[in-house]
Amino acid sequence: MKVNKCFSFIICISILFIFLSISSSARVGPTYAIVNCKIIPVSAPEIPKGVIIIRDGLIESLGPSEVISIPEDAEVIEAEGLTAYPGLIDAHTSLFIELPKKETVQTTGSPLISQEKESGRYPDVMVFKVLKPKKSKIESFHKIGVTTVLVAQEKGIYTGQSVLLNLNGDEKEKMVIKNPFALHISFSTAKGVYPASVMGTMALLRQSFLDAEHYNTYKSFFIKAGKGIKRPEYNPFLEALVPFTQDKKPIVFNCKNQEDIKRALGLIKEFKLNALLSGANEAWRVAEYLKKAEIPLLVSLDFKPPYSSIYVNQGEELKKKAEKEIYPANASNLHKSGVKFALTSYGLTTADKFLGNIQNALKAGLPKEEALKALTIHPAQYLGVGNLIGSLEPGKIANVILVSGEIFEDKSRVEKVFVDGVLFKMKKPPQKAKAAALNIAGKWTGTVSGPMGELETTVEFEQEGNKIIGTISSNFGIWEITEGILSGEELDFTFIAKIMDETVEMTFSGKVEKDLIEGTVDFPGGSAELQLKKAPENSF
Amino acid sequence: MRKIIIFSSIFFCMLFITIFASGQDLLIKNGTILTVTNGTIQKGDILIVGGIIKKIGKDIEAPEGMKIIDASGKYVIPGIIDSHTHIALSAGNESSEAITPEVRVRDVLNAEDPSIYTALTGGVTMVHTMHGSGNPIGGQNIVLKMKWGRPAEEIIVNEAYRTLKFALGENPKRSNFFTPVVRYPQSRMGVNAIIRREFMKAKNYMEQWERYEKAKNSKKSSILLIPPRKDLRMEALADMFRGKMIARCHAYRADEILEFIKLSKELGFKVVCFEHASEAFKIAKELEEEEIGISVFLDNWAYKVEAYDGIAYNAGYCTKKGVLVSLNSDSSERIRRLFNDAAKAMKYGGLSEEAALKLITINPALQLGTEKIAGSLEVGKHGDIAIFNEHPLSAYTRCDVTIIEGEIYFDRAQYLKEREEMEKKKAEEEKKKRGGKK
Amino acid sequence: MKKKVIIFTALLILISLFVFSQEKSPKFTAIKGATIIPVVGEDIPEGIILIKDNMIEAVGKDITIPSEAKIIDAQGLFVYPGMIDALCYIGLAEIGSLRSTVDYRETGRINPQLRTVEALRPDSVHIPIARANGITAALVAPSGSLITGQSGLIKLFGWTPDEMVIKSPVAMHIEFPRIPRRRREREARPLEDSSKQIEELKKILNDVRYYGKGKQAAQKRLLLSHPDFDESLESLLPVVKSELPVMISVHADKDIKAAIKFVKEEKLKAIFFGVEQAWRVAEDLGKAGIPVIFGPLYDMPQKWEDGYDGIFRNPVVLHKAGVKFAFSSRSSTLAKDLPYHASKAAAFGLDRKEALKAVTIYPAEIFGVDKIMGSLERGKVANIVLADGDILEQRTNIKRVFIDGKEMDLSNKYTELLEKFKKRN
Repeated sequence: MKVNKCFSFIICISILFIFLSISSSARVGPTYAIVNCKIIPVSAPEIPKGVIIIRDGLIESLGPSEVISIPEDAEVIEAEGLTAYPGLIDAHTSLFIELPKKETVQTTGSPLISQEKESGRYPDVMVFKVLKPKKSKIESFHKIGVTTVLVAQEKGIYTGQSVLLNLNGDEKEKMVIKNPFALHISFSTAKGVYPASVMGTMALLRQSFLDAEHYNTYKSFFIKAGKGIKRPEYNPFLEALVPFTQDKKPIVFNCKNQEDIKRALGLIKEFKLNALLSGANEAWRVAEYLKKAEIPLLVSLDFKPPYSSIYVNQGEELKKKAEKEIYPANASNLHKSGVKFALTSYGLTTADKFLGNIQNALKAGLPKEEALKALTIHPAQYLGVGNLIGSLEPGKIANVILVSGEIFEDKSRVEKVFVDGVLFKMKKPPQKAKAAALNIAGKWTGTVSGPMGELETTVEFEQEGNKIIGTISSNFGIWEITEGILSGEELDFTFIAKIMDETVEMTFSGKVEKDLIEGTVDFPGGSAELQLKKAPENSF
Repeated sequence: MRKIIIFSSIFFCMLFITIFASGQDLLIKNGTILTVTNGTIQKGDILIVGGIIKKIGKDIEAPEGMKIIDASGKYVIPGIIDSHTHIALSAGNESSEAITPEVRVRDVLNAEDPSIYTALTGGVTMVHTMHGSGNPIGGQNIVLKMKWGRPAEEIIVNEAYRTLKFALGENPKRSNFFTPVVRYPQSRMGVNAIIRREFMKAKNYMEQWERYEKAKNSKKSSILLIPPRKDLRMEALADMFRGKMIARCHAYRADEILEFIKLSKELGFKVVCFEHASEAFKIAKELEEEEIGISVFLDNWAYKVEAYDGIAYNAGYCTKKGVLVSLNSDSSERIRRLFNDAAKAMKYGGLSEEAALKLITINPALQLGTEKIAGSLEVGKHGDIAIFNEHPLSAYTRCDVTIIEGEIYFDRAQYLKEREEMEKKKAEEEKKKRGGKK
Repeated sequence: MKKKVIIFTALLILISLFVFSQEKSPKFTAIKGATIIPVVGEDIPEGIILIKDNMIEAVGKDITIPSEAKIIDAQGLFVYPGMIDALCYIGLAEIGSLRSTVDYRETGRINPQLRTVEALRPDSVHIPIARANGITAALVAPSGSLITGQSGLIKLFGWTPDEMVIKSPVAMHIEFPRIPRRRREREARPLEDSSKQIEELKKILNDVRYYGKGKQAAQKRLLLSHPDFDESLESLLPVVKSELPVMISVHADKDIKAAIKFVKEEKLKAIFFGVEQAWRVAEDLGKAGIPVIFGPLYDMPQKWEDGYDGIFRNPVVLHKAGVKFAFSSRSSTLAKDLPYHASKAAAFGLDRKEALKAVTIYPAEIFGVDKIMGSLERGKVANIVLADGDILEQRTNIKRVFIDGKEMDLSNKYTELLEKFKKRN
């Protein structure tokens, strides 16, 4: 029973997340004068030594030190040696979205027979309503310099309406820049009902666009006629579509592979939609089309090749190569083909991975200034807020980051982040692989405790220097620990939990003390405490 | 020739992801040419210019710089055509409902399906790739060329008929599957009834639109006219009525084939071909009279009850009775040995070599409406060609080269060369590894 | 008294022998004028093959034909020994989708007690069809997971199962996991290797040995308790004694290597089946001296890395490595296609004579019945096929088939249905 509860806690990352301890909220801070910093406004040439004045959440002025005078009431921030950039924009994430609770269906007999039904039609779901900001997540984004995110939900075909947030605290009402931003559409399928295949999904999309048009026409006829026409039946599904398909508010198509991109381009053309493409980690393969279509492109930095890809059908060797070399070159190839784009973390689970993959994209040939544009001014324009964010200009929202060294570099780090003029100081330098303080190799036992229960677990570590691998086992199976590092006494590791058919990436971070390991396991939408004790030798 | 090799560093994969340009020039020399429609030419040449066959004959001179294939001792045949497959798709059935003519397999093409390469290795250059047989009315099919390495939109054959998949019998009845919900229909009665129902609905739908158009055009009416709802499902069936689309119907039993022919006449749409048609030999007369073809397995049978009378003589016998017969694979494995199946039609049914070859070339082309561009070696048709080391109907034969529109998409000699190089390189690497360890 | 009984019995035997030989004077049949392909030895153009009752009496050119012999003029035809399908489900499965007609797989993982010949249906429609294509004997094997049962060698003629069985059991069948293939957009399941299965098998074989020893000891000493009867262990006793070979269905190169090690360690007589990736470990197989039976060549390679012709070149590579092999149909409905798997390999480089041997004499050798079948030689059972061409060619027509010296009726469901509906018009 206990186990079951814990199980459901782990997989059903649910709404039960109420005890957030974030206290800081969006507020108008003091007036700041950032002095002696290098300024990269993105929209204008670099200023080697300058001043930025932030007042009332906006950039009041900026310029070379000689030109800008510092207001009396300003709190001066000495930024010698730091570089100021506009806050980065992640134009597609599923941040703060908790995975919907999966209904566990009692299957009697054959597991093949599932009664599960999901319509996949959620155009009226407002992401703003379902999201739950979480301090640790915000911090992790601040740490890599991201101040603004577009949050969308992933489940379904019509996955809902996204919201553009400024990460200025934990009160979502104060974070909103634009709500809703767009209707999001995925080329996925429903479950148990039509459509069960992507060809059905395409038919559904085309039919629903036609229906929205018809619904709209009928309604306007009805209004025009005044009387004599039977009133149209209210249809919440089509009601939700009309603003996007008829009034041409933006639609974002989530594209898992190159065929999805072509599907989206076809629909955009056929129904004259105002649309953006997201995902698109195979975009370089259809660069010609994208160049012609001139559709805003939100390129995901998820480098996992899609299942349909030629690179996963021709052997393991090529598959690995694809993830390591071919897909990371997407952005750089697009740039070479003259296609403009924004970069997003869509499909990635953590902010750190986002930064890591930005670096990989740079390694694969993307010029740094392009990467910077793709995370600032391009997304700002695509999201229709080019006048508000995306560059350092007087009058724009004060989303500013101060970086030691150059942005995106391994050695450099984000020191201070201003969002809506609110200052966030970064806690401590990122953990850069110190030598391990002790050896934790061997068997450990303990419990995972979360809001819904406890789970017995056994962990076996293997250690080489400060690198940690191993396995974590529980009633739900044995999962492999990868990417572990023991830096001093700080232990971090990642493992992929496979529960039922779902894979969930979980990260642990905590401390090691002699025979005790304590810390937190983070998973999409929640966390749990993990405590481990060294198992006595030769115990089974 | 523009031959870009992507990622030459990935040595192994080099073999398979070579990209070619389209509409090439090529001269094939000194082959035994089996034209299929115009007999055999010993030591003949075929000249392809811009992807189109320009000349077939003897001693054709190659213009300067033209690529030449020496086919001495080899057999040159038109590219094989598979009239019924499900390859190059990322979906099979829209299984959620029984009637789904609005779905199009063109929306789920996957040009990176390795089955395309497999098809090439068996000399196949063109396939009809179809919606599955789970629904009485399935989806809209498509004809593709096996241009491996090319994007999906470039492999579509636009000259072909637009076809809609129908299915009768055990599959639409869901006889052999576990399904979460019991779906109507569950009997052959239901299958026919539901098809009739949908066509009647479509008729009604068309009438609605006609009335609307009429009313709109008559100047008398001053009332606001609301257009009817555009319904893609009904539109697809309306296209059947309009003759813009024709039926390909999955059916095994003789009786259900006859009933479907009756139904198509009653409702007024055209059926061009029955798929599998295991029992066609029982009703060869009717099929011949109605001029409806069949696309069959040569001898794959008895895997289910409705295939229990699927005798190997079916194709040969029906051919002799004047029915247009093609052999299909319906499989990403059988697709590479359709020529072996054709040879069996000589044993089972006593067909001549030429008639047997037709089963996999011109006959399927006729069924697909692509006979003007493919299916035989004739001047003016596409340069889609397969070259075999032995007579293609010999059991010892092997496809050595497959050409589409003058371009070589599969070349066994090249494959062997690259494989050998790769193996050598791998062996060297291993040697190095071992050496390093010591 | 005793003496009288003995004399009486001897008399009875003598009389019965006399009656028997009276009734059955030898029947001779001579096939004349055809090209004889004995498989072992050179082809004999315009040769004679003399059948005495159910046996081949003589094969050659200068053979005196007894005057009473029935003479078959086979001018222009080719004479082959009947082919042997080295693994199939013929007689065990009628219609694939119809569970009620499928009897070659049982539930459960450990089923050494199963004997396929006990489920044989002599009336299966698939038997006459395969026979009409020149196949005269077949190994009917079980399928399933891990230990699947005992196969038997049958001839494709007989009114009862017993009349059909040539030898049973032939092997104890074991199945290792296959490499799961990727399907559409779903990700491949993690690769499973055979190590777990091998561990499990080792444990079982160990138990069998204890069981055998316990039984032996109990037989010698009355006071020792006899081990409780266990059908699995009992059935496996001939395996650990190396009396009965195991036929291991194994596919991936790694697994083949592991299987070689396993049979060596356990000192088992072994045959491998499937072996799609054997060409990667051909040397190991050659050294181990384990014969293999290929699954149908109408199959796809296990992995893309195997190359498109991985399945086809497998026999070519194994032949070079000195591995003995046979082809199989692994089917009931398409068992008739056996010869074409052999010619497919020949299309990709296998010597044509070897291909023919691998559907005739090699399977006979592998199953230990080469003394009585597998070639056209004096003293072997008269399983003979007359064809108008190369028997491995699809285009070739099979004209006559003899099993045990009896000429077979070549009509079958195909021809019967065809004839029936020919009458329609």
